[in-house]
Amino acid sequence: MKWRFLSPPIRPLLIAAAVFLLALAETAVALLAPSRAPTEADWTAAAQEVRAGFRDGDLIVAAPAWADPILRVHLGDLIPIEVAGRLDDDRFARVWEVSQRGAHAPATAGGTLTLDKRFGRLTVRRVERHAEPVGYDFVARWADASVSRREAARTVACRNVGDRMQCPDLSFNYVHRQIVEVDTTLREALLAQPVAGAAVVIDYPAVRLGRVLVVATGLHDVWMRKAARGTVEMRVTVGGQTQVLPTTSDDSGWARTRIDTAARAGQVVPVRFEITSPAPYARHFAFAAEARG
Amino acid sequence: MRVNPRRADWLMTLGLALATVIWLLAVEGRQGFGRDESQYMRAGERYWGWFEELATNLGQGKLRQSFAAPDIDHYWSDNAPDHPVIMKTLYGISWRAFHTCTCTGPARGLHPNPIRGRHRTLPLFSRDSTAFRFPAILFAALLVALVFRFARHWLSRPAAAVAAILTLAQPHYFFHAQIACFDAPIATMAFAVGFAYWKSLRDPRWGIAAGALFGVALGVKHNAWLMPFFLVAHYLWMRRGDLRARRLPRIPLAFLAMLVLGPIIFFLHWPWLWNAPIARTRAYVLRHLDHEHYNFEYLGWNWNQPPTTTGMKLLRATAPFVETGFTVPVTTLALAAFGAAALARRRREGALFPEAEPETPVAARPSWLRPGADVDRAPGAFVLVQTLGPLCVLAVPSTPIFGGVKHFLTAMPYLAILAGVGLTAISRGLEGALPLARARLRRAAPLALAVAVCLPAVLETRRSHPDGLAHYNLLAGGFAGGASLGMNRQFWGYSVLPMLPDLDGHVPENRSLFWHDVLSDAISMYKREGRLSLAVGDTGFGEDGIKRSELGILFYEKHWAKYEGWFWEIYGTTRPIYVRAREGVPLVTLYRRGAR
Repeated sequence: MKWRFLSPPIRPLLIAAAVFLLALAETAVALLAPSRAPTEADWTAAAQEVRAGFRDGDLIVAAPAWADPILRVHLGDLIPIEVAGRLDDDRFARVWEVSQRGAHAPATAGGTLTLDKRFGRLTVRRVERHAEPVGYDFVARWADASVSRREAARTVACRNVGDRMQCPDLSFNYVHRQIVEVDTTLREALLAQPVAGAAVVIDYPAVRLGRVLVVATGLHDVWMRKAARGTVEMRVTVGGQTQVLPTTSDDSGWARTRIDTAARAGQVVPVRFEITSPAPYARHFAFAAEARG
Repeated sequence: MRVNPRRADWLMTLGLALATVIWLLAVEGRQGFGRDESQYMRAGERYWGWFEELATNLGQGKLRQSFAAPDIDHYWSDNAPDHPVIMKTLYGISWRAFHTCTCTGPARGLHPNPIRGRHRTLPLFSRDSTAFRFPAILFAALLVALVFRFARHWLSRPAAAVAAILTLAQPHYFFHAQIACFDAPIATMAFAVGFAYWKSLRDPRWGIAAGALFGVALGVKHNAWLMPFFLVAHYLWMRRGDLRARRLPRIPLAFLAMLVLGPIIFFLHWPWLWNAPIARTRAYVLRHLDHEHYNFEYLGWNWNQPPTTTGMKLLRATAPFVETGFTVPVTTLALAAFGAAALARRRREGALFPEAEPETPVAARPSWLRPGADVDRAPGAFVLVQTLGPLCVLAVPSTPIFGGVKHFLTAMPYLAILAGVGLTAISRGLEGALPLARARLRRAAPLALAVAVCLPAVLETRRSHPDGLAHYNLLAGGFAGGASLGMNRQFWGYSVLPMLPDLDGHVPENRSLFWHDVLSDAISMYKREGRLSLAVGDTGFGEDGIKRSELGILFYEKHWAKYEGWFWEIYGTTRPIYVRAREGVPLVTLYRRGAR
C-alpha cells in the first residue's frame, strides 16, 4: 500500500511545515530561554537554605560546575581556599549541591539524598555519603617535612624559610604550599619543580597511616605546559615500601593514585616523596597527598 | 504604480544597507573594547597624525620629510608588522572627521598624538569609539548589500533579501561587524573579490575590478592570501573540460589582475613598507605564517598549541565545523542544507531556478577575458568552495584557532546565500503543492515562510548582544549550553563594559584596580568617553598586578584559572563580590581584597 501521506504533493508541504516549525521553535527559545536562568532572588533563597543546615566539613558545589563563581558570591565564606582547592571530593560526608537545568555534580554521585528543594530555577540537594576522613594532610603539614636535593655525589639539605622549603643554589628549587592550576582547575598543593640530574626528596618523618594514601599529581601553569613536553616521575616510599606513580606529563591532568595502606592502618611511619625528571625545564610539578580512612 | 525592477533592486539594496547601519549603530555602544580593537583604535589615531603632519609639511614646503623613514616609522610602526592599515587608517580618519571633540578636556593626555587644540569635526557621534567603529559598520552594510546583489542573480527579491538578512543576523558575525577590527571587513572584501571574480567569468570589466579589490583585501587582513586558492579551485573545476582534454585552462584576466594589482595596491597602501619593502613584507608574512597559538576553549579543552596525538588532531579538525554548527542560527543552517541540495541537483547548463541567471554558454570558444562564457560556471562548486574553503583551512590541526568563528567569517555570507537558495527551493515546492485556486495563499505562504526563517536569526542575534562570543545556538543550548559543552565564552577582555559603572563606584578601592585582560588602551578609551572616572587606577598585569590591587576583575576563560588562584591567595578569600553573567553563565568576576 502506498503511504499517501508522503506522496509528492504532500512532501513539499511537510518540508515547509518542518522548517516553519523549526523557525518557530528557535524563535520561542530565543524569547524564553533568558527567563530560564536563575535570578538573584533564587540564589539568595538557595543560599539561605544551605546556610541554615550547613555544618563544618560540608562541601558545597554548583552544578553545572561553571556556575561555581556565582555560588561563591553567595556562599564563598563557607568555601575556604583549602576546600575550593581540594584534592578531591572523597573526604566529604555531606555535600550540598546548588543546581540548575537538571545538572548534577559528580560529588553527589552514589550518596543518599537527604534534602531536595527548589528555589525558583535552582534546586538545593543535600547528599550524605560514605566519606574517607583525612588523618594526615601532607599539604597542610608541609612544615613537618624535611626537604633535600639528592645529586649524584651529594645530598643537599633545604631549609624552611617561612613560606617554603628553599634549597640552596637554585632559586626555583623549593617546595611551596600554594594554589596551583592543573588542567585549568585550581588545587591546593605543594609545588616542587624537578631539578636536572637530581632528585627532590621530601621526607615526612612520622605519618599516621589510614587505610589508603591518596596522592594526586599534575603540572601547574598553562603557560609552562605549553612551553615544554618533559615528563616528571614521582616515587612514594611508605614505611620502606616504594611505589612509582604514573608518569606526569602535560596531558595527564590531575592524576590520583590510591596506595593501599590498610594493612598498616594506625601505624606511624616515615613517608618519602622523590621527584625526578629527564627534562625538567618548565616542569612546575605539583602534588597533594592525604592519608585517609 | 509599478517600480522599475532595477530601481526596486537598488532601493532594496540601499534599504538593507541602511538598516544594517542603523541596527549596528543602535547597539554598538553596549559592546566593550577587546585588546585588539583598542590597539587598532590607538593605531588608527596615530596614523591620522601622519596625515596631519603631512598637511603641515606640505604647507611649509617640507613634503619630503613626511616620507622620510623617521617620520613614517614614528607613526606607522604602531601595530606593525601585525596588520596592514586600510581599516586602521579608515578608523583614524573616521574618528578625526566624526567625533565630538572633548579632546582639550581632562582626558587630553590619553590620546596617542599630542592634542594641540580643539578639533573641528562633523560631530556625528558622541563617543570617540563610535566614530572609530563607523567604517567597520559601513563595511558590514556593504557586505549585506553585496550579498543581496549577488543573490539576485539566482533568487527572487524576497529570497535574496533573506540571504542578506541572514548574513548579518548571526550572533558571532554580528559581534564582529560592529567593532573596529578586521574580521568583518575582510569578510566583506572576500565576498567582494569573489563577486567580482564571478562576474568576470563573463564580463572582462570585472576582471580588472577583481584585481583591484584583491589589492584592497590584502590591505585589510591576511585572510586575503587564501582567496586565490579558493578561486583557482573553482576555476579548475569549472574548466575541468580543458583538463580532461589535457590542455591547460587559460589564465583568466581576473587572476592576472590579482597577480599584478594585488601586490601593487598592497605595497602602496602601507607606508611602513616603503622604506624597507622586502624586509618588512617578509616580517609581516612570517608574523602570520608562524603565528603563536593563543589559548582557546573548544569542547572542554584548552587549545594553545598544535595537537600531537591522532585523537586530538581529529577532535581539533572538527572545530570549524562544530563551531559553525553551534553558532549559526539553526534555521539558517537547515535552509543552507536545502540550498546545498538544490545546487547539487541543478542540471548542468540549466538555471538554478527558472527566474535565475542561466548557465547556458554564451560563447562557442574559450577566452581569457571571459573564461566562463563557453561553459557552465558551476555555481554550486563556487559557493561550496567559498563556504567550505575557509573552514577546511581552519580544520588543519596545526592552524591556530584562537579566534573561533572569526577566523572563518568569510564563509558566512555564502552560507547565508545557500540559505536563500534553500528557502527558494522550499518556497517553490510549497507554492506548487498549494491548490491553484488558492492564489492568495500561494502568494502569501512563501512570504510568510521568508519572514518566519528570519525571525529566529534576528532574535537570537538580539539576544546574544553584547556577548555574542558567549552565545551558542539552539543545538548547543544557548549561553548555558555552550558553557556546559566547554565552548569558548569570550576573549580579550571586552565583556567588562557593563560593569564599568559598578567599578566606578568602588571608591577608593578602584584607585588600585587590577584590570586583568583589559588593555590600557581600552581603559583609556573608556575614560576618554567619560564611561570611567579618570581617577580609576590600573595596577598592571600578572600576579604583581593583583598584589598591588585592592579590587580586581577576572575574565572566565580556561587558561586564566591561575589568576583566580592568585586572587584567592592574595585577597584571602574565594568569595567574589560580584559576577557578571549572561543567562546564569559567568563572564567576569569582581574580587575585593579581604571580602568575606
